[in-house]
Amino acid sequence: MKKPVQIGRSISSSNFLIAFTVLLLCIAGLLALYSASLHVDAPFFKKVIGKQLLWMILGMVTMSGISVIQKKLLFDGAYIYYWLGIALIILPYLMGDSVTGTSRWFVLGPIHFQPSEFMKILVIITVARYLSGSDLIISDFRSLIIPLLLVLLPMGIVIKQPDLGTAVIYFFLVFPMLFWAGARPYHLFLIVAPILSIVTAFNFYSFFIWVLILILALYLGKEKIWIAVVLFVFNLSLGFLTPVLWNRLKPYQQNRIMTLFNVDIDPQGSGYQVIQSQVAIGSGGLFGKGIGNGTQTHLKFLPKQHNDFIFSVVGEEYGFAGVMLVLLLFFTLIILLINVAYRLRDRFSSLVVIGFASVFLYHVVINIGMTVGLLPVTGLPLPFLSYGGSFIISCFIMIGIVFNISLERRR
Amino acid sequence: MFYVKNNVTSLHRNLLIATVFALFIVLGFRLYQLQIVEYSRFAGIAEANQIRVVTKEAPRGLIYDRNGQIIVENKSQYNLNIIPYETVKNDSVFRLLSRITGISESEIRQRVQKNYRGLFLPARVATDIDFKMLTEIEERRLELPGVLYSLESVRSFPGPANLSHVLGYLREIDKEDLRMIKDYGYHAGDLIGWNGVEREYENILHGQKGFEYVQVNVFGQEVGKVQDERSVKPRFGNDLYLTVDIGLQDYTEKLLAGKKGAAIVMDAESGEILAMTSKPDYSPELFSGIVESGVWSRLLNDADRPLYNRAMQGTYPAGSTFKIVAVFASLQNSILNPDALIRCQGVYRLGRREFKCWKTGGHGRMNLFDAIVNSCNVYFYNLIRKMDLDLWADYARKFHFGAFTNVDLYGESQGVVPDEAFLNKKYGLGGWTEGNKLNLVIGQGDLLVTPLQMVRFAGTLATHGKVVTPHFGLRYLDCQTNRFQTFVFTNPDSVSGISAAHWDFVEKAMYDVVNSKNGTGRAARVRDLDVYGKTGTAQNPHGEDHSWFIGYSKRDSQILAVTVLIEHGGSGGGEAAVAAGRILNYCKKNLVPTPAQTEIATR
Repeated sequence: MKKPVQIGRSISSSNFLIAFTVLLLCIAGLLALYSASLHVDAPFFKKVIGKQLLWMILGMVTMSGISVIQKKLLFDGAYIYYWLGIALIILPYLMGDSVTGTSRWFVLGPIHFQPSEFMKILVIITVARYLSGSDLIISDFRSLIIPLLLVLLPMGIVIKQPDLGTAVIYFFLVFPMLFWAGARPYHLFLIVAPILSIVTAFNFYSFFIWVLILILALYLGKEKIWIAVVLFVFNLSLGFLTPVLWNRLKPYQQNRIMTLFNVDIDPQGSGYQVIQSQVAIGSGGLFGKGIGNGTQTHLKFLPKQHNDFIFSVVGEEYGFAGVMLVLLLFFTLIILLINVAYRLRDRFSSLVVIGFASVFLYHVVINIGMTVGLLPVTGLPLPFLSYGGSFIISCFIMIGIVFNISLERRR
Repeated sequence: MFYVKNNVTSLHRNLLIATVFALFIVLGFRLYQLQIVEYSRFAGIAEANQIRVVTKEAPRGLIYDRNGQIIVENKSQYNLNIIPYETVKNDSVFRLLSRITGISESEIRQRVQKNYRGLFLPARVATDIDFKMLTEIEERRLELPGVLYSLESVRSFPGPANLSHVLGYLREIDKEDLRMIKDYGYHAGDLIGWNGVEREYENILHGQKGFEYVQVNVFGQEVGKVQDERSVKPRFGNDLYLTVDIGLQDYTEKLLAGKKGAAIVMDAESGEILAMTSKPDYSPELFSGIVESGVWSRLLNDADRPLYNRAMQGTYPAGSTFKIVAVFASLQNSILNPDALIRCQGVYRLGRREFKCWKTGGHGRMNLFDAIVNSCNVYFYNLIRKMDLDLWADYARKFHFGAFTNVDLYGESQGVVPDEAFLNKKYGLGGWTEGNKLNLVIGQGDLLVTPLQMVRFAGTLATHGKVVTPHFGLRYLDCQTNRFQTFVFTNPDSVSGISAAHWDFVEKAMYDVVNSKNGTGRAARVRDLDVYGKTGTAQNPHGEDHSWFIGYSKRDSQILAVTVLIEHGGSGGGEAAVAAGRILNYCKKNLVPTPAQTEIATR
């Protein structure tokens, strides 16, 4: 058993490191935005860089405010916040902007914000609250049902908005938390299994390998034989049915599903962007072209280069060295968060921090994976680098909550 | 402490860290691949070259008539486009372009704004530029970065006839439409069939554009293709064959030139429409590509409504042609002995109201047969008094009046067959009188029909009960398999419950309408051809009577149904019958049953 004093000190020193990492990431983002808005002829605070700076300052103020409130407020109010959040993400859906057909923005006078960004935080807090119930037997599969429902509800709402990226994050952020809370990996596997059965079914070999894995897992799960058989048959028939059902869909229906998984519906547009993004990053070479010197200049005119594709600006202008530094910063941040979660003594706080760490991880991997052509184009921004008020503030709120949670022991 | 203790183990932490590490390694490796391994390739692309999306046009299918004569083909025109990004900071391009094309600089900028689809996608600034301009632009290529021309395929109409209402037109897809149809592979700015067969057979005619990614150098010249799995091959449209005989179509259009009205010729057995004319019409050339707003509003605001297809959108009172419905109702239900004589003194009195016959002096005493031949109103007034209105309406509906014909054109009208329920609803219970019946039996009052319904009616009379689905689609050439695909249309229920003797009775009367010396349709007579018909004179509140003629001719195996309507053309025996006679005469001389026809007819 470690001594409390030691924990306090080590956490506060890691808090300092977290703050420092975040600061460096913000600077990297501002530098990239600087080149992005280099040729825009507007007053400083009208450019994206100026606006982003204002958002960051606002975010830091919010962060400081949140870091000193009572943690009890988070714990006790979790369920209330959750339902308020649900109301908020339904709201833009009701009064949504019918012109563009997307309703993920919430408009309040001059302020536009995306409540689905903040909802992630509330979902994490609520799931953590549930998982830290004192009489919860986490090794029981039934304990996992409520947390799953807690994420499926907001996921179902935002998937219609349409914001597949955010919806996917809702769904997957619950897994590290369940794992962290001590759920059996075998149970988590069973939850993901139907999805994998469907996805792998499109290719014979992938499906074959999947079936082998499934058998192995069911064997290792030491399940009662009839349950194992039911699970196996269920997954197998899902896999067999998928291609049949898929082929019965009309081409436009298939297209509709395909576009759901590739948020940028215009194949011409997204293909172009990904090619341009890869050319930009690739042409950056080892040390990049220097700030503002991206010769792949037309990237500057890509509509999303200052938010979703900001990483390609970094890649072009700072090269391999630059992107490695940014990757290292993100890696450090996530590892620091995991360590904080490990050292915290109460389960609620620990789970909240793990949830936040997974949000950062997913955003980083999915966003960068997209800019380098590994993953489909989804509209997920890069934390602290991408331009966008709602997201940057929600990132700072998460950091603020981490500070709050980890500092309370010392008071 | 009310919080539950954290019971996480270091194994959990290490597993999580390992996962994170693995994911970052994957990203790092990919970046290493892009930036170190493939650096020179990407640097090459980035330094001298740009990537541009090039659309590969897929021509729309052609349209032929039943004999393989071309009606609609594609012609290429050069359009001038600008890539907004490449010219955004370059005023000299606009200056030079303005000098070459003669379009003012601000106008060019406006057009770029208007047709803007993205910074890297060409925006159209001029259409159909001539060869001189083209060569000049080509010569000064280096001074005009970001300016390019595209070959666009537009519709052209080499045939003699307009056929405009049948062909319809294309329209540019706007953002609003796109939301509904983008799943079918359309893009903003594509043309889509918006009316006529261009609309109805859109899925057959339209091709699917392909695109390629090409590298261009700083001068905008193509230097190579980017091999990329994202490029898409174009798919051509299929050629469509219509049932129309373009010669006959041209003839009917010329015949009705200067008039307002409609004429339709249909094969009574198969429902194939050989000609459909609605006058006034417009030249389809006006809609060959992107329609200028001036042309559009001029057509829309024309008082004569040239865009309106009178042949199937227009609803009119049917006039005396509709008496035949009452004839069948009476014969089949023995309402009135056909041999009984009724005296016509030119007027029928109902209470204080007088209902006139068209012949002021009256027709004298006549039986049913003569009443049809002479189109005597008074006889039918007497007839309908003895008949239930709903019985009459039932017979009208037996012939599928008041129902869509389901012709393969968009925007057809349904018409109205009033029955007691209808009149009760419109005028209130008891708000209508026997007088309404008297009007209806002679095809006036609330009865409304389209010329298309009338030609189908004529066809039903000709075939003794067959009700067809009139159509224009014959077959198409599937460009994937290079095989003809024939369209199949299902006909609605035939008219049942009418005895052969009654069909013959009406046919004989209709023969006499045209061929006896006091028939009202003598003007439609054609030498050496059996023509049957019925005239109609429809009163209307807008001016002089509309002139109707419906009829058919039987020759060899071919039965042609014809309908002519001339708005404000006076009596049916006049203009309409004359036109119908000429049309059938033309058919006699020029129409040869083609193999395709017989194939369809046996369906």
